[in-house]
Amino acid sequence: MKKVTIYTTNTCAYCAMVKKYLDGKGVKYNVVNLDEQPEKQAEVYAKSGALTVPITLVEKEDSTEEVVVGFNLPRLASVVA
Amino acid sequence: MSANEKVWDVVMIGGGPTSLAAAIYTSREDISTLIVEKGIIGGLAAVTDKVDNYPGFPDGIEGLHLAENLQKQAERFGTTIELDEITTIKKVDKYFELQGAMGSYKSKTILIGTGSQWKKLGVPGEEEFYGRGVHNCATCDGAFYRDKKLVTVGSGNSCAQETLFLTKFASHIDVLIRGDHWKASDVLIKEIESNPKITVHFNTKTDEIIGGEVDGIQKVTKIKATKDGEPFEFDTDGIFVFIGLVPITGYLEGSGVECDEAGFVKTDLKLLTNVPGIFCAGDVRSGATAQIASAVGEGASAALSIREYLESNK
Repeated sequence: MKKVTIYTTNTCAYCAMVKKYLDGKGVKYNVVNLDEQPEKQAEVYAKSGALTVPITLVEKEDSTEEVVVGFNLPRLASVVA
Repeated sequence: MSANEKVWDVVMIGGGPTSLAAAIYTSREDISTLIVEKGIIGGLAAVTDKVDNYPGFPDGIEGLHLAENLQKQAERFGTTIELDEITTIKKVDKYFELQGAMGSYKSKTILIGTGSQWKKLGVPGEEEFYGRGVHNCATCDGAFYRDKKLVTVGSGNSCAQETLFLTKFASHIDVLIRGDHWKASDVLIKEIESNPKITVHFNTKTDEIIGGEVDGIQKVTKIKATKDGEPFEFDTDGIFVFIGLVPITGYLEGSGVECDEAGFVKTDLKLLTNVPGIFCAGDVRSGATAQIASAVGEGASAALSIREYLESNK
């Protein structure tokens, strides 16, 4: 994995679960807080086709991207494995 | 020894207030306790903006904060929490074997505490726009609707509470209620009535969610409804649905655990199901009142029943 980005909001409990899961796996990530950066909402939609959080964007070594919408544990596990 | 190798005294499926409360009791008595949660620790309580009726918090408490406190208390006594999704349960010799998406677990007893999830409206457009205009989590997705118009659907406490939370973002909210009155508490109804951003529509049935392209984004634009028997349309940027709950019990198929007609798990007065060693408490239980305080109380009761069962089946 090259880079992991989580799109969150201040009150999103599922976002906290994504962070907790990645912390447990020792995966480093960047956080984009949409309450603080609402202009990034269009970016979220462009990457995921969704208007929801959490969105986890995983950029791979081969420059491909994987997007996980929501706290989807099996999918998140396979994407960051 | 990993969570997958050990034989646990009790595995609790679901990590909401029920299991966390039960785990505080069992762990504190050295009953080895594993909670397996597929989604969020604290369950639906954790995504509730403010819990105003949980005893002991005179000013209310954020749902997430309450969940974090329950988790800390359970972990302080030795509860282990695994993130996994249980898919099947079967009895193998003296133990139950729980198969998860990421591993399997063995246990002498089980507490079913998976709670419930939001019911869907079942109208055209709901699936198509889910997560991009149709939502169930105000604390997650409310921020996408700053200065936008919203519709909420429902008549209970959750709908009233979440609608009030959404007024932090939305410019206006139309609440659609199928019947002719609120089922929410008077305190919340008064808050709703005094909020100029909210208009309540009784006798209004949601029929269809319409979407289209706005600024390059495919999103919800309109709700078709029937108000007082006449067709009615609401212009909106999104819709949040809080129309009641359905029990989460899919993993029980083949386990032999009996459910009622609505799919809630049947128990006796000791919260034991028809399968010896499998207990159930909280919102997923037939007859539950779907309150956090009662879920916590049932969790404590279930823990005592589990202790008694383990002692008499040594």
